[in-house]
Amino acid sequence: MLTLRNILLVDDEEDFLETTSLRLRRRSFDVRTAARWAQALPALEAGWPQVVVLDVMLPDVDGLECLRRIKALAPRLPVVMLTGHASLQASMQGLEHGASDYCLKPIELDELVEKLIIAHKDAEGSF
Amino acid sequence: MLRRLATLFRPRPKLEPAAARSAFREHYRNFRALLTANNNALELMATAEEMLQSGKPFGMAFVGGDITALTVNVYKMVRNLIALADGRYQELDQRFHEIAGRVETVVSRRPVVEGSAFVLTMAEIDRDAVDQVGAKMANLGELRNRLGMRVPEGFAVTAIAARHFMEASQVYDEINRRLQTLNADDLEALYRVSSDIQNLIREALLPADLERLLREHAARLEAEGQGTITVAMRSSALGEDTRQGSFAGQYRTRLNVALVDIAATYKDIVAGKYRSQAIVYREQRGYRHQDVLMCVGCLVMVDAVASGVAYSRPPDDPRQPVVVIHAAPGLGNHIVDGTSAYDLLHVARAAPHEIAAVRLAEFTGSCLSAAHARELAHLSVRIEDHFGSPQDIEWAVDRGGQLILLQARPIGTSAVLASGAEAEDCLSGQAEERLRMSGGVTASRGVAAGTVCKIAGAEDILHFPHDGVLVVETPDPEWAVVVNRAAAVVSASGQLATHLATVAREFGVPALFDLPGAMQELVEGETVTVDATGRRVYSGRVDAVLEAASDRPNLMAGSPIHQLLKEALSHITPLTLTAPESPAFKPASCRTLHDITRFCHEKALAEMLRLGGRYGTRDQSAKQLYVVGAPSQWWVVNLEDGFREDTDLSGPFVRIEDIVSEPMLAIWQGMTALPWQGPPAMSLRGFGSIVAQSAMNPQLDPAVRSNMSGRNYFLIARNYCNLSVRLGYHFALAEASFSDLLTESYVNFSFQGGAADESRRRRRVALLADTLREIGFRVDAKGDAVTARIEKRPVPYLRQRLMVLGYLLIHTRQMDMVMHDEARVGKFMAKMRADIQTIQESSGGENADVAQHPAG
Repeated sequence: MLTLRNILLVDDEEDFLETTSLRLRRRSFDVRTAARWAQALPALEAGWPQVVVLDVMLPDVDGLECLRRIKALAPRLPVVMLTGHASLQASMQGLEHGASDYCLKPIELDELVEKLIIAHKDAEGSF
Repeated sequence: MLRRLATLFRPRPKLEPAAARSAFREHYRNFRALLTANNNALELMATAEEMLQSGKPFGMAFVGGDITALTVNVYKMVRNLIALADGRYQELDQRFHEIAGRVETVVSRRPVVEGSAFVLTMAEIDRDAVDQVGAKMANLGELRNRLGMRVPEGFAVTAIAARHFMEASQVYDEINRRLQTLNADDLEALYRVSSDIQNLIREALLPADLERLLREHAARLEAEGQGTITVAMRSSALGEDTRQGSFAGQYRTRLNVALVDIAATYKDIVAGKYRSQAIVYREQRGYRHQDVLMCVGCLVMVDAVASGVAYSRPPDDPRQPVVVIHAAPGLGNHIVDGTSAYDLLHVARAAPHEIAAVRLAEFTGSCLSAAHARELAHLSVRIEDHFGSPQDIEWAVDRGGQLILLQARPIGTSAVLASGAEAEDCLSGQAEERLRMSGGVTASRGVAAGTVCKIAGAEDILHFPHDGVLVVETPDPEWAVVVNRAAAVVSASGQLATHLATVAREFGVPALFDLPGAMQELVEGETVTVDATGRRVYSGRVDAVLEAASDRPNLMAGSPIHQLLKEALSHITPLTLTAPESPAFKPASCRTLHDITRFCHEKALAEMLRLGGRYGTRDQSAKQLYVVGAPSQWWVVNLEDGFREDTDLSGPFVRIEDIVSEPMLAIWQGMTALPWQGPPAMSLRGFGSIVAQSAMNPQLDPAVRSNMSGRNYFLIARNYCNLSVRLGYHFALAEASFSDLLTESYVNFSFQGGAADESRRRRRVALLADTLREIGFRVDAKGDAVTARIEKRPVPYLRQRLMVLGYLLIHTRQMDMVMHDEARVGKFMAKMRADIQTIQESSGGENADVAQHPAG
């Protein structure tokens, strides 16, 4: 199994992108960030990420629509929704559209990392 | 499940091609994902239940976060079960959505807002309008229209107007997102978020219809008034100024507002709902942010020669028959801000309202005439009689000599009155030696010790420690933001009427005010004991004084958020589903999310067994465990990689040496580590004797059982084990998962005891629960059943607990045998504790956290 290395963070909150990518890099992950869908697209088209962390509300494209597009591009690429939006409706829709998980901010880095590893592991079909 | 298992014990057709492996692995992945989600969901349920009972403050961020995460995990279980069952159980999906819908209705319920008018004039307002204009304005209207008292002219902008503004400007989503991610303990973040949200509201566009109304009413006031007028604009939040929570000083008041600035000031006051201390206050007291709607009062400014506060009874001693009046020259907030000297008058409640005691700020005389003082006392008593509880009244005397009432609300003293006995006046020897300061005013009763932390400016507040003693020069309302985390408050100046004192009383935090020199005398970082009731400060912790302290009030119980969580959990945590054997064990019977997790878990295990059969992988059939050269009483079903790869599975047996399931081996070690040496079993059919004998001495194979209900079986994989022990009326289940990831590492255990009378069964459960708690399980004991869980701990820790479980499974039944005899119970428990100790040491894992108990 390929170990998890490449993480794409998609979130319009610059503070979050900065601190989270910094802390993930400190744990030897490769991280790319995008503040909107348009910025996320090149990495996705290149097939770079092994897992995507996606906010629910983005300025250019709605998060759920983002998820749909990611799944159309790469059906097996695991997407973990991470958001400050505590909505049962959104969370269920997220799972229905193929999200691996739906988590709420704030989240401990350890917990996030475990969720990413599990999502990646599941997608790889290993356990 | 049992029926499925039963089929495994019949002869089955031989293998299908190895290609089935990959299909099986996909299903096994669903199975493991379901188990992880199950574990997460149960943990989140337990967390929410604990929060509800703890009395600790929590806000909607916790409720929304916990419940969303919980629902996500239950939904994952449903989806994984359906995948595992190749599309069956669709009706469970529907059931889940129904229950989740009910939960969502509770969590996202919008407050009902009364009325449709955006503005009501003073003439239109009385107490019945409280749900439209908030308590502050409703009470004021009541004074004017029902009691015929003089209040300023003006109008109120209603709750429905505030909602109209907030919704039309679409700021709610962003606000809720900011608050959801806010950790209220991080004060820097709190200030930032608070200021961002307020700016968002100030910059939002006021809907044109509302703006036009504000202008019309301002013009009306101007036409009615003489000369140029200005207005006071005050928050009158729904839920504010009631007995349950006073929200004292949390919101914003703007004085001397020019009429042209009314619209901008309105937004500013609505924004004041998100001042940092208001956010903290709501979180601490269990109010939902979106439930508090900011109504705004707009009142013509009184040109005052004197103003102040009157209490219809002394807040610190309501039995005294006097009205307490605080008075200062001019008009201002300075009395409640704690910044100025004032006159203090005690006026008799009964006519002719004699002036009983006076302390003046200026020796030249009081700024309030005796006639006004008497009139004010008279009005205060009338207002108290009308509203039915002691009142806190703001007043002013204008240049025409007229007494005008600005506000009336109940005194927030419930916490003070509940805090109990007077401090003793005589000091114990120990206390006397350590007395540091004395005097001042009891702003909030109580006793507490903590480290001195002096606050001079806003930046100091960021480093205020939990349980520090807040020491300040003046009781600035800004400090309210840390009152909830302070052990006590000491202020060199200020008195009862300050907002900070009110907040301290509500949080049950002892506060001693008006203690000059406190900032100089007390040393940063030193430990002191503050006796606010006895008005003394001691060096160090003085236990003799602290013993008199009563617990802080449970501020959450009964609060809106507490109620909301309770109601939401009523659709989540109760387990109503009957036993799996029952025909009622079906999706339609699931009434709560817990029921759904139970159903999914049970069916997932059954599906795994079915799949083993369908894909015909040979090692998914039940094998009888072979120990020390003979068959035992235990059966093993290999779900995935639980057997050594080269295991010979041609026969009906598997040898213990071929088992590579780590959790199963841990349980097995615990079962076999120590032979039973206690009192002889009463019955050979007793659980312990059977298990012990069959585990240790396979020759003694007891009664052959014809169905699964009599069998004890392990369902295993390398990192997973699910053990069912069912003998007679007795049922135990242990499930464990080991992983490098904490999210996938847990042990669950449940036990239902039979084979003894009711009282013995209860005692057995109590002993078992204690034992499990001692080794770190989270235990829930109800009647004769125990469930216990450990989650998110490293594997060595879990392995050790599993060994103990193995031991307990073998020996618990023996408890019954000694249960009638206290002395033997003592001996038995001592022996059991010693055994557990031995087992834990033998496992080589860390066991420092295991409590040591004296024998007996």
